[in-house]
Amino acid sequence: MGITNITFKKFISLIFTERGSIEYSVLFDIRLPRIILGLAIGGALSLAGVILQGLFRNPLVEPYTLGISGGAALGVCLNIIFQLEQNLGGISLPLSGFLGAILIIFLVYSLSIKKGILKIQELLLTGVMLSFILSSLIMLIMAISHIQDLQGIIFWIMGSLAEPNWFLIKLMFFVSILGLLFSYIFCHALNALSLGEEEALHLGINVELTKRLLFILASLLTGFSVSVAGIIGFVGLVVPHFMRNLIGNDHRILLISSFLSGAGFLVLCDTLARTIISPLELPVGVITGILGGSIFIYVLSKKQMKS
Amino acid sequence: MKKYIILQILFLVILFANSALSISSPYPQRIISLGPYITEALYLLGVQDKLIGCTVYCKRPPDAEKKEKVGTVIQINIEKILTLKPDLVIATALTQKKDIEKLKKLGIKVIRFSSPKNFFEICSQFLELGRIVGRYDIAEKIVQEAEDRVGQIKSKTENLPKVKIFIEIGTNPLFTINNDSFVNDFIEFAGGINIAKDAKTGIYSREAVLKENPDVIIIATMGIVADKEKQIWEKYKTLKAVKNNRIYIFDAYKLCSPTPISFAETLEELVNILHFKR
Repeated sequence: MGITNITFKKFISLIFTERGSIEYSVLFDIRLPRIILGLAIGGALSLAGVILQGLFRNPLVEPYTLGISGGAALGVCLNIIFQLEQNLGGISLPLSGFLGAILIIFLVYSLSIKKGILKIQELLLTGVMLSFILSSLIMLIMAISHIQDLQGIIFWIMGSLAEPNWFLIKLMFFVSILGLLFSYIFCHALNALSLGEEEALHLGINVELTKRLLFILASLLTGFSVSVAGIIGFVGLVVPHFMRNLIGNDHRILLISSFLSGAGFLVLCDTLARTIISPLELPVGVITGILGGSIFIYVLSKKQMKS
Repeated sequence: MKKYIILQILFLVILFANSALSISSPYPQRIISLGPYITEALYLLGVQDKLIGCTVYCKRPPDAEKKEKVGTVIQINIEKILTLKPDLVIATALTQKKDIEKLKKLGIKVIRFSSPKNFFEICSQFLELGRIVGRYDIAEKIVQEAEDRVGQIKSKTENLPKVKIFIEIGTNPLFTINNDSFVNDFIEFAGGINIAKDAKTGIYSREAVLKENPDVIIIATMGIVADKEKQIWEKYKTLKAVKNNRIYIFDAYKLCSPTPISFAETLEELVNILHFKR
């Protein structure tokens, strides 16, 4: 597949005998990191999507709705126009993205707490408004920045899985697995919450604590993903939806199945993105949008026909 | 028969010497260029046979279109580059930093040229490129020739009256060139004044153009857009450039592909437009 044709037989012999060859390098230095990062990001975004949709009981919420991605994008923009990257090295870009994301998470969170209660509806509204403000700020920066910086910003916003830094890839993988394990503590709580807050309370769930922890968990997953790979759209919206349609609303299986299918979906999209018009590569967001959107509409229309 | 054997041995010796030479050569033998003007410069330096890959935008000279393509100027395919086994990749300011980092991690030598800010930098970068590929003498000769031509033009235009110019390289938003780019040197060497010289970025307002009222407007975008732009400008009858019918459409490739030679050629063309209305 791809530019370099590597058959399965060749693949086996590569692993055992031909270390140091070009094909080996293509497989293990270029494709493997991309696949691992794709699995991690796809899983994390889908997981964040499931959690947020469950929390808000709103199927339109996705990881980027709450302005977290906007915060990360603003952080990266500022980094690029002040040229911190030259002074602090390549790792500063994801770092400033993450700082931006954390700042927005904190802001949304503290603005939505009234008298010690986290108001879910206000959280949503504040997040949406903040993300509008942020995208305007980003446009402002783009309008007044130099051409060369502009290009850097646009590419970052389009999102990409071609991350050269192994440390970031491993970190992201670790974070998303940890996120999955952590989310399982709340799978019963999420099921209860989908009945409504009061009902959950009657079922003996500490609603306040659960809401806060779930919000923070989903935000952190999103923040990490966006900081490492930029804004790859649609995964966090479509995959959770799709899985809900397919296997129902039980979060005990919904969490893991969304995680896995999100991971697989993103890797598939990335493979298509880099092979469809090779040697040119498409931004992966192009494929996630087109493929994810059309599959989703197809499934939705089929479901309506049945009912 | 003996003669034949001697010939054969001689042939083998030459072959061996040749391959030994090319192995020990300190200069890159398999070069990939990631920018059109780098590709053009490599052809000028006569090392086109060592150029094994370039971008899909590299169309000059026409022979460059036959080379292996490794992506666009801004989005390269690392896998493709790796399989071509280059010993040098020449990147531009538009190459993504992540990609450069990745190539370096894969053990490929990468040199990055920044966008030249003036004619002096065009020449010094060309010389640097010549040194890297082992053709410094040719580079020196070309730069000398270009400098002579540019010097002659400068001395010719020095005593001519200055012409106020607005140069448009993009529409929607209106985009121009400030003195961060070598294009500003075109204007100044040709005896013009760039009205946007001190602008902070390339985005410029039509209002400011009306206020500065340039003598000449040059549109350097491609195709139908340029004609449409000309029509838009012609609506503003107060502009001197409109009154005197001095709006010109200029080939964007010529203006934006800075090798020393093409700089001199384009400059000559511009002088003709500005001062002799040709």
